[in-house]
Amino acid sequence: MPSDIAAPVIRHDVLGRDHFLLTLECPAIAREARAGQFVMLRAGRGFQPLLRRPMSICRVLPGRRGRIQILYKIVGEGTRCLSQQPVGATVPTLGPLGNGFRLAPDGTRPILVAGGIGIAIFPFLVEALRAARRATPLLIYGARANRDLVALDFFRARDVPMRLATEDGSRGTKGFVTRILEPLLARKDRGPRMEIFACGPTPMLKAVRERALGAGVPCQLALESQMPCGIGVCLGCVVGCPPDERGPIFRRVCAEGPVFGAEEVVL
Amino acid sequence: MRRRADRAPRGTVPRVRAAAGRPRKRGVDLSVDLGPLRLKNPIVAASGTFGYGTDFLPYLDLRDLGGFVTKGLSLLPRRGNAPPRTCETPSGMLNAIGLANVGVEAFLSEKLPALRDCGTAIIANVFGETQEEYVAVARRLNGAPGLAALELNLSCPNTEKGGLAFGVSPPVVRQVVAAVRRAAPDLPLIVKLTPNITDVAVAGSAAREGGADVLSLVNTFLGMAIDLETRRPVLDNVVGGLSGPAIKPLALYMVHRVYREVGLPVLGMGGISCAEDALEFMLAGSAAVQVGTLNFFDPTGSVRLVREIEAWCRSAGVRAVRDLTGTLRLPAGRPPAPCSG
Repeated sequence: MPSDIAAPVIRHDVLGRDHFLLTLECPAIAREARAGQFVMLRAGRGFQPLLRRPMSICRVLPGRRGRIQILYKIVGEGTRCLSQQPVGATVPTLGPLGNGFRLAPDGTRPILVAGGIGIAIFPFLVEALRAARRATPLLIYGARANRDLVALDFFRARDVPMRLATEDGSRGTKGFVTRILEPLLARKDRGPRMEIFACGPTPMLKAVRERALGAGVPCQLALESQMPCGIGVCLGCVVGCPPDERGPIFRRVCAEGPVFGAEEVVL
Repeated sequence: MRRRADRAPRGTVPRVRAAAGRPRKRGVDLSVDLGPLRLKNPIVAASGTFGYGTDFLPYLDLRDLGGFVTKGLSLLPRRGNAPPRTCETPSGMLNAIGLANVGVEAFLSEKLPALRDCGTAIIANVFGETQEEYVAVARRLNGAPGLAALELNLSCPNTEKGGLAFGVSPPVVRQVVAAVRRAAPDLPLIVKLTPNITDVAVAGSAAREGGADVLSLVNTFLGMAIDLETRRPVLDNVVGGLSGPAIKPLALYMVHRVYREVGLPVLGMGGISCAEDALEFMLAGSAAVQVGTLNFFDPTGSVRLVREIEAWCRSAGVRAVRDLTGTLRLPAGRPPAPCSG
């Protein structure tokens, strides 16, 4: 059951250019949260911005205080406003919302594919996979440039192998994450079974979806959307799904998602 | 009139009780009357912002609301427009959902039974693409157990009139309202006016002539947003409806005008996000108000407004909130209100 809590800011760290890690205390949300779920944060006090912003839950911190972390990047007015919240301020936090990831079955290797700030959803998933004693995942992580790659220490500390890509070639493979993913999928007959978990900008999700469906590899996509309410009532955040004889079908990213199987949506 | 012998001795029974039965301190009477419809307090959640009621159960007790209006119901289910459907604007938002809903049959068989005894007034919002569709939906809802009233959404495009909204043509308004009135004689009829018209009072008068019991206003204002980078409209539907605090002064004026010109009880709305906003609408002539976009950014905001209005009344010495309706003090020399509502 989701709760709406005025959550105090416990820490608010800057992680390189435009990236922040926000720690909030909200025990009722921390207790119920699962990897892949999100919260709706109200970034300001007045009407500018008016609406809350959906944010993936990056981590639930160990311990009894019930703290969660939100990793975000300034992309507009809402996130800029959020970045100005000092320690001790309270941030109205509604959650946990949506459906999380289904953990990969035993004996399946999870392949995490992150683009840009889409990385924010994966620390929680890595910890959930470890807690469920599943195979160690491989992280494929792409961003514009080296300075946009964040939270690498988290994955390194948990021995998660990483394959990095940058659009400008300043670190790792030059180009998009698909340049790393494609050869991996081509080799799949020789490796163990795998399942892809992807989060990032829509063009990346589209490309990953096509490659996964083409290779017959199970794939879960965590979608982003303009989301006025986050609780299923405004019907504003829908994504197109494969049509039936009556035409297109739309499903709510907040309520039926934000995680969908690659075959369930049309991007 | 009660006889003296029926009266409980003074001081033994709280004189005013809340609808749920809890005694209140120095009770403020929050109940309001909208023609034939009595609400326990003046806060009603607006159509399209409250689903079918059950979505808010994790956040609030429906019994604390005066009522809520369902998502607009059509004869058949509708899937709505392609995304993007919404866009935030300064102090507001645009939406072009496309009237997506489960359809009247699924509402009656799946949604309404789950709401039975929810302890608040359930108002079903009705729309159609033709007058026949309005009539068919209203007829199906007439007499449904648990429904308190119908609200007609006249902002739907009329497919028989080239897609122009029903609500912009006063003769069409009169005709549709009269037809629905005949189809659903047992339910109070609220007619929701579009603000996208030269004079909203003319449409309001047409609705009164058609047999409306109550006028609700305003629906959203038509608007658009453009992405300069792509040079495309932000909404797939190009145009959408503007709501939120940005429209409050526009809506307040229209409520003032309709209250003074039409002579029907008014259910005002448009950007209400705090008790003061709601009370201003009541001074302008609203008997009760609806809150819409607030439900999106503050899911418990509607019940907070009820508490705040009660506190305001108590501090201002107002014993019954209904006494505030239409008590706006106009500058001297202005013509008096032509009607009392």
